Amino acid sequence: MAFLVRSTLVYAVPLMIVALAGVFAERSGIINLALEGIMIFGAFVGVLFVRLVQQWGWFDAAKEMNNWIALQGFMILTMAVAAALGAVFSLLLAFAAINLKADQTIGGTALNLLAPALVLFLIRLIVNQNTLQMATGDAASWFMIKKTMLGFDKKAKLGFFASAFLDKVYLTTYVCILLFIILSIILYKTRFGLRLRSCGENPQAADSLGINVVKMRYAGVTISGALAGMGGFVYALTTTNCASNGDVAGFGFLALAVMIFGNWKPLNIAGAALLFGLFKCIAASYTSIDINGDGVFLLANIGLNSNFYRLLPYLVTLLVLAFTSKSSRAPKAEGVPYDKGKR
Amino acid sequence: MKKILALILALTMVFALSAVAFADAEPVDPDSIEDNMTSDDNVYEVAFVTDVGQLKDKSFNEGTWNGVKSYANANGLSYKYYQPANGSEATDDDRIGAMQAAVDGGAKIVVCAGFLQEGALRATASANPDVKFVFIDGYPLAEDPSVEDSPMLANVAGISYQEEQSGYFAGYAVVKEGYTELGFCGGGGGTNPACCRYGYGFVQGAEAAAAELGAEVNINYSWNYGANFQASSELQTMVNGWYENGTEIVFACGGSMFDSITAAAGANDGAVIGVDVDQSFQSDYVVTSALKNLQGSTEWAIGKFYDGTWDDIGGTGTVLGINGDYVGIPTATWSLENFSVEEYEALVEAMKAGDIVVDNSVLEGGAIADAGTDLVTINYIE
Repeated sequence: MAFLVRSTLVYAVPLMIVALAGVFAERSGIINLALEGIMIFGAFVGVLFVRLVQQWGWFDAAKEMNNWIALQGFMILTMAVAAALGAVFSLLLAFAAINLKADQTIGGTALNLLAPALVLFLIRLIVNQNTLQMATGDAASWFMIKKTMLGFDKKAKLGFFASAFLDKVYLTTYVCILLFIILSIILYKTRFGLRLRSCGENPQAADSLGINVVKMRYAGVTISGALAGMGGFVYALTTTNCASNGDVAGFGFLALAVMIFGNWKPLNIAGAALLFGLFKCIAASYTSIDINGDGVFLLANIGLNSNFYRLLPYLVTLLVLAFTSKSSRAPKAEGVPYDKGKR
Repeated sequence: MKKILALILALTMVFALSAVAFADAEPVDPDSIEDNMTSDDNVYEVAFVTDVGQLKDKSFNEGTWNGVKSYANANGLSYKYYQPANGSEATDDDRIGAMQAAVDGGAKIVVCAGFLQEGALRATASANPDVKFVFIDGYPLAEDPSVEDSPMLANVAGISYQEEQSGYFAGYAVVKEGYTELGFCGGGGGTNPACCRYGYGFVQGAEAAAAELGAEVNINYSWNYGANFQASSELQTMVNGWYENGTEIVFACGGSMFDSITAAAGANDGAVIGVDVDQSFQSDYVVTSALKNLQGSTEWAIGKFYDGTWDDIGGTGTVLGINGDYVGIPTATWSLENFSVEEYEALVEAMKAGDIVVDNSVLEGGAIADAGTDLVTINYIE
């Protein structure tokens, strides 16, 4: 059960944070279809940064001494770098959509096409192969938090809570959840959040009240890019052993679905991401999920075809979308370039 | 400033010269040989066409490529690798494109890795009878497979290995070491004969050791998420679940799948068995590896062409196994404690003498579940 909770979070967290990235862009009035592309780019930047720092040997001493606090710092630094470069990358979309008033769908698609090609090209230049990996070691030995680090004995049996949330987890999970909460509060409870949202509903009215629509939309897209870039690195770290290969397995598009599924509202998005993560986790590991801890693998014993489980996450998303999309309400002005003269 | 520059230049030349002087004295570490060499006349004599997965997969492709470039480097030949377009979705046309590019690039001998290349190889080899092809993990090819008794293409040498033997050693060794909860993750989705042989050999070895120890052994056996020999988050989650529920060691039998499996092992302090080449250099979790000497046999096959004895292997299939030490587990990086190198060597001798015979049947897909083992329980995971 603890395993199920842990693995669900591993899938759900990148989805959640990238879906929130989508919310920030769309609430300011820009459709950000480029989430996938920005994630790919962020994953690449993060992995490259880890690799370079390892080659420079900045944290070798910390690794040698098992100073895991320093290593966690290194990881958070990498998240920040991936976020910064993700934000820069998203400016391409912002410029096209805001300054040039280009079609946002096409702008986003262009970034989605650009990112994997660019990333693969750079990886080829750097390592002459299709995958960029850490210079030494693996993600778990560098960045994972294990119970032994927190003072527990290696053989100690932990309770459910501790083994689900404190053992074999990445700090990124909690950083992302914290960021998710803070940003949701900013979006709903601050002046900045209100202004940003108003630009996605009725930019002309917002402008008439003295809000700089261009600035707000730039802010929305930049925050969106930063979150998506960071989410890309988190994805690479937790699910692909800190490797980048120009692919994030469609998580950016899934995040878009989760965002619509969650009706552009943070709380619903968190729920949707968890639901999807849960089913994704069940699909991959249903044969070793022991729900009540009695050593019986219930799902494996039912005898359903494995393809059924692999279908589940997508089937559930489709079903829930079919039933909830009627009540979903997209920001009114999203996708419409702001034109002062238009009423 | 100029003086320093001159000094550095002079030193570099001295080192370069000494490097050349020592070149044939001792074996060169393949990693120190440049992957992209440039020949002056733009002709590349020895060519390599990769299997699915990437060149530097730390396994099958890389091991074969190391043989190609080591031979070429030691003998002053030009060499180049070609990767078929479209990666793991490569079609025969993509592979023909890569092979023809190699031939057009001046190749006299082309090494093609992986049994998937059969169709493309037949077409290219028929069209270029003067060029020799080494088909690694392959077999001799008939000119026209639809005609009975069709002559074999004399310019294709099929090289295959007795993977079941090294799988046997790996399974035997880890069970002797004391592991009883094993896992097997194979590449190719259960259709790759080499991976099937590795897996069945692994099961037989585990069974033999279990019989000696009177132990009971469980094996989680899966081809899931391995069709393209790639790492994936799903594979990592699945193996994570295995380790979480008691699996102690997993045989990572498929190129880059290794990365997902070591990631899961890292999270759970589990152990891993590598494949094709000694993978203990790539991860601390690797206990042993089921080897086939790709580098050595590739060098040997190319050598057959250059010393004029191509006819020994051209047009026929050569099966390399324990005789000649083409398969086994690495003794140089031995880390097992309850199973010694001496015991292993005794096992090797017994196999060479024919006292141990490993069944080399290719049990595709789920057929392994009915392999009829007594002490080993196979939990086949679809």
